[in-house]
Amino acid sequence: MNVTMSETQMDTLKPESELTSNARPVEAGDVVIEIDDVNFSYDGNKDVLRDVSMNIAPNEVTAFIGPSGCGKTTLLRCLNRMNDLIPGAGLTKGAIRILDTNIYDPAVDSIELRKHVGMVFQKYNPFPKSIYENVAYGLRIQGIRNKAMLDEVVRESLTAAGLWEEVKDRLDSSGLGLSGGQQQRLCIARTIAVQPKIILMDEPCSALDPISTARIEDLITQLKTQFTIVIVTHNMQQATRVSDKTAFFYLGELIEMADTTKIFSNPSMRQTEDYISGRFG
Amino acid sequence: MSKTTDSSKTAKSKRGAFPRKGFRIFGLGLQDFIRYFFGGNAALAIVMLVLICIFLAMEAVWFFPQHHHEYRIYRQAGQEYVDLIGAEIDAHTRLGSSVNIAYLAEVNESSKREDRLINALMQVETAVENRTERLTERLEDARELIEELPEEIEDAKDDAEELAELQADLIKAQKEEQEFAPQWRKAAAEALELPEVWDFGVNVVKLTDNEKETIKEAALMAEPGFETEHPFFAALSEESKQKKEVARERLVAFKAAVDELRGAASPMKTLHGELRTIAMENREVLDKFETAPARLEALLEGIEATKDPEERKRKEEMAAAVVIETPDYVALTKPIYESQSKHAELIVPFVETVKTGWEKLPEVNSLETKAGRAKMRTAVSDYENFLRSTEHATKAIPEWRHDRPMSKVKTVLAFFVGKEWVTNSSWHEFYGLLPLLSGSLCISVVAMVLAVPFSVAAAVYVNQLAWWREQNFIKPALEFIQAIPSVVLGFFGILVLGTALRNLSHIESLSWVPGFPMSERLNMLTAGILLAFMAVPTIFTLAEDALNNVPKAFTEASLALGASRLQTIFRVVMPTAVSGIIAAILLGFGRIIGETMVVLLVAGNKIQIPDFSAGIGVFTQPAHTMTGIIAQELGEVDKGSLHWRALFMVGMILFVISLSINFAAQRILKKLHQSY
Ligand SMILES: Nc1ncnc2c1ncn2[C@@H]1O[C@H](COP(=O)(O)OP(=O)(O)O)[C@@H](O)[C@H]1O
Ligand SMILES: [Mg+2]
Repeated sequence: MNVTMSETQMDTLKPESELTSNARPVEAGDVVIEIDDVNFSYDGNKDVLRDVSMNIAPNEVTAFIGPSGCGKTTLLRCLNRMNDLIPGAGLTKGAIRILDTNIYDPAVDSIELRKHVGMVFQKYNPFPKSIYENVAYGLRIQGIRNKAMLDEVVRESLTAAGLWEEVKDRLDSSGLGLSGGQQQRLCIARTIAVQPKIILMDEPCSALDPISTARIEDLITQLKTQFTIVIVTHNMQQATRVSDKTAFFYLGELIEMADTTKIFSNPSMRQTEDYISGRFG
Repeated sequence: MSKTTDSSKTAKSKRGAFPRKGFRIFGLGLQDFIRYFFGGNAALAIVMLVLICIFLAMEAVWFFPQHHHEYRIYRQAGQEYVDLIGAEIDAHTRLGSSVNIAYLAEVNESSKREDRLINALMQVETAVENRTERLTERLEDARELIEELPEEIEDAKDDAEELAELQADLIKAQKEEQEFAPQWRKAAAEALELPEVWDFGVNVVKLTDNEKETIKEAALMAEPGFETEHPFFAALSEESKQKKEVARERLVAFKAAVDELRGAASPMKTLHGELRTIAMENREVLDKFETAPARLEALLEGIEATKDPEERKRKEEMAAAVVIETPDYVALTKPIYESQSKHAELIVPFVETVKTGWEKLPEVNSLETKAGRAKMRTAVSDYENFLRSTEHATKAIPEWRHDRPMSKVKTVLAFFVGKEWVTNSSWHEFYGLLPLLSGSLCISVVAMVLAVPFSVAAAVYVNQLAWWREQNFIKPALEFIQAIPSVVLGFFGILVLGTALRNLSHIESLSWVPGFPMSERLNMLTAGILLAFMAVPTIFTLAEDALNNVPKAFTEASLALGASRLQTIFRVVMPTAVSGIIAAILLGFGRIIGETMVVLLVAGNKIQIPDFSAGIGVFTQPAHTMTGIIAQELGEVDKGSLHWRALFMVGMILFVISLSINFAAQRILKKLHQSY
C-alpha cells in the first residue's frame, strides 16, 4: 500500500507532468540523482562547493569521502533542500535533478521532496516520544490515522531496520531509552516508514561503538535493494565495506568519483591516492 | 606515616618546586578573597530569605491564639447569639432590597422613553452650562438684579441719593443683560454643535435626529436666570409621571407584596437592636477585664520610671483603681437567655409573613424588564438563603450557651473559610480570608486566561516563525513591558482602561456580554487585563526559552521526514517544550498573584466575596485582594494587634502560595532538563 501512496506523492513533487516516464520501475543504468555543475554558497559570496557534477544510480550505495570541511555534508543536504533552513544559503550555479525533476524549481514543494528523500543524521535524534510514535510520525503528519495501517508500517519498518525483535515488547516506551545504536536504527526505521526513494546518511556511525557500527553497515547493505543510499563517511574502511561508488571531495570540489573498488585500489587522481593512503586529512 | 610528614616538610620548605606567587594575608591569596566575597554575598541572600521566613512566621503564628481569644469573648459577651439573629435580618434585608429593585425596574420601564429624553436634556444643559460658565454667571446676576431692583427702588422712593444709585444700577444691569443675552445664545448654540456635548459617556443615550433638534431647542430656551421650560419637556415630565402612576397602579399588587415582605422584620429588628446594645455593653466589660493585667503592668512600669513624687502618687492611685475582678458572666448574659423565648415567639410570624409576601410576588418570567428579571432571579436565591438562615437560627438559638468552650478548629476555620473581613469595628472584628483569596484568584483567572494564550503564541511565533528582524523587534518590545512601573500601569488602568471598558460595556448592542453593562469602573476585569499585560513578559520570555531549548535536531528530523513548519511546531517542538511552558505559566501566575500596586489601584477594593451566581459576569464586580489589603491596611494598624497579625497571616499565605508555585516550577524545569 505504500507504493501507491508514494506514487500519488510523485504527482505533487513534479512541477509539470511527465508522469508516465516516472511511473515505470527504475532500471539499472538509470540515473536517480543528477547533480549538474553545482556551486553552493552559505552567504552568497564564498562558494563552498564548486563545479560539482555527478550522477547517482538507483539501488546503489554511494559514499562521499574527503577531509573535514570539504563540503560533503553541504552537498548531502542540498539533495533534500535542508539547506533552505539557513537564511541566505543556496545554489549559486547549476541544478540538481532527482527523478528527472529539478528540485530547486520554484514549483517544487520542499515538503513533498523530503517525503521522497529521507535523511539519517550524524547524531541519532529520535523524538522524545514512544518508539511506536517515532516510527509512525512520518505517516501521521501525512494525515494517516488508520491504526491497522500504522501498526503494519511500524512493524515492517522496525523489521527492516533490524530492530523489531529488540523492541517489539516495549513499543510504548520512550525512544530515548534505547542504546545509541538502537536509537540510530530507530531513526533509520523512522525514515524508511515514509517509503522514500532515496536515503541520505550523514556519518550515521560516527557516534557509535564498533559493534553498533557493524550492525548499521549490515543494514545499509540490506536496504540498498529497496532504496538508493547516499552516505557521507569519515571512515574509509566503512566506505569500502558498504558502498558501490565512492566520490572523493577536496576543498569543495569533486576530485574523482568511481566504483569503490577502483577508488581504493587504483585511484586516477593524485589527491585521492594521498588521502586514502592517509597522507593527509 | 613517615612519608606524609616528609612531603609536608617539603611543601613548607621555603622554595618548593612550585611556589605560590602574589600577596597573602592569613595565608589567603587574592583568589581566595574573591571567592569568599562572592560566596559571602550568596550566603547573605540566603540568610535574608531565612530571616524573612522566620520574621513572617513569628508575627503570624500568634494570630491564631489571639484570634481564638477574641472569639471566646465574642461568645461570652453574647455577641455570637445576637449575630445569629442579625444573620436572619441581613438575609431578609437582602431579599427585600432585591424584590424592591425588581419592582422599581418594572415601574421605570413604563416611562423609559420619557426619562431617557429628560435625562439627555439635563446632561446637555449641564454640558452647555459648563462651557459658557462665565457668561452664564454674569447673565444670571444681571437678570437677578433686574428682577429685584424695581422693588428696592419702590422702597427707596424717599431717599433721593439711594434712589439715583439704584436706578443707575438697574440701567447698568439692563445694559449688561442686553449685551450678554445674545452672547450667551451664540455661545450656547456653538456649544451645542460640539460632539462632546452629546457624548453622554457612561449613560449612553441614543437619540434620533428629531429628538436631538428638540433637545437643542429646549437647551437654548433654558436661558440662565429664567425658569422657562420647553413645553415639549414639560409635557414629557408630565407624561413620565403619569405613566409611572399607571404602572404603579397596574403593579399595585406587586408593591403590596414587596411592602408586606419588607415590613415583616420590624419586631425582630427591635429585638435585635435591644440585644445588640446589651451585648455591646457586655463586650466592653469583658474587654476591660481581659486587658486589666496588661494595663496594670504598664502602669507599674510607669511608676518605677517616674521620679516626681506627685506624678508618682497620681499613677499609684490609677494603678489601685484598676480592678481585676472576674465579671459575673451569668448576670451579664441573663437578658440574652431571657430573649430566647421572645425570639421563638417572633420567628414564626416573621417567616410566615415573608412566605405569604413571597407567594404574592409575580413570577420571574412575567416581568417585563431584563433588569427586573435578573433581580428577581437573585431574589429567588436570596429567599432560599433567608429560609436557611432562619432555620439555622431557630435551631441554634435555644442551644446557645455563653460558657461553652470555643472550639479551636472553629476559630482557625473562621480565618481560612471566613466570609467576612471587618476591621476597626466596635462590635467584633472578623478576619476571614475568603473575600481576599477569592478576589485574588478571580483576578488571576482573568489575567491568566488573557495572558497565557497571548504569551505562548507570541513565544511560538518569535521562536519558530518570525524572521530575525522581527525577533529583534518583538522580543525587546515585550520584555520592555517589565520596565513599566506598576503604579504607572495602575494610573493607566484608572484613567483610560477602566473608563473605556465601562463605556464599552454600556453600548446597547453589547449588552448580551455577561457582566455588561458594568456598574463599576474599577473591577476585577480591569485589574485582570492589566495584570495579564504585566505577566506577558514573564511567560513570554520563559516560554521562549523553553522553545529555544528544544534541540534543533528534533526540528531537523521532523522537517526531513516531510513535515511542514507548523506540523513540526505542534507535534515536536511544543510537546517537547511543554513542561518548560507549564513552568513559565506557573511563574507568570506567581507574578500575578503577588502583584500589589495595580490591584490596589484598579480592582475596586471592595471587600466581598464575588457573587458567583452572576456567571462569567462575576468578573465585572469589584474586589479586594490579599496583596492589596496588606498594602492598604498595614500602615494604620497597631503593632501586635490582632489586625496586624491577621495581615501577617495573609502575607504568610501569599508567601506560601508563591513559594509552592516557584517550587513546582523548578521541579518541572529540572525534570525537563533531565529528559534530554
Ligand atoms: N551553516 C553553515 N553556515 C556557513 N558555513 C557553513 C555552514 N555549514 C558548513 N559551513 C562551511 O562549509 C564548508 C563545508 O562544510 P561541511 O559541508 O560541513 O563539510 P564536511 O561535512 O565535509 O566536513 C566548511 O568550510 C564549513 O565551515
Ligand atoms: Mg560533515
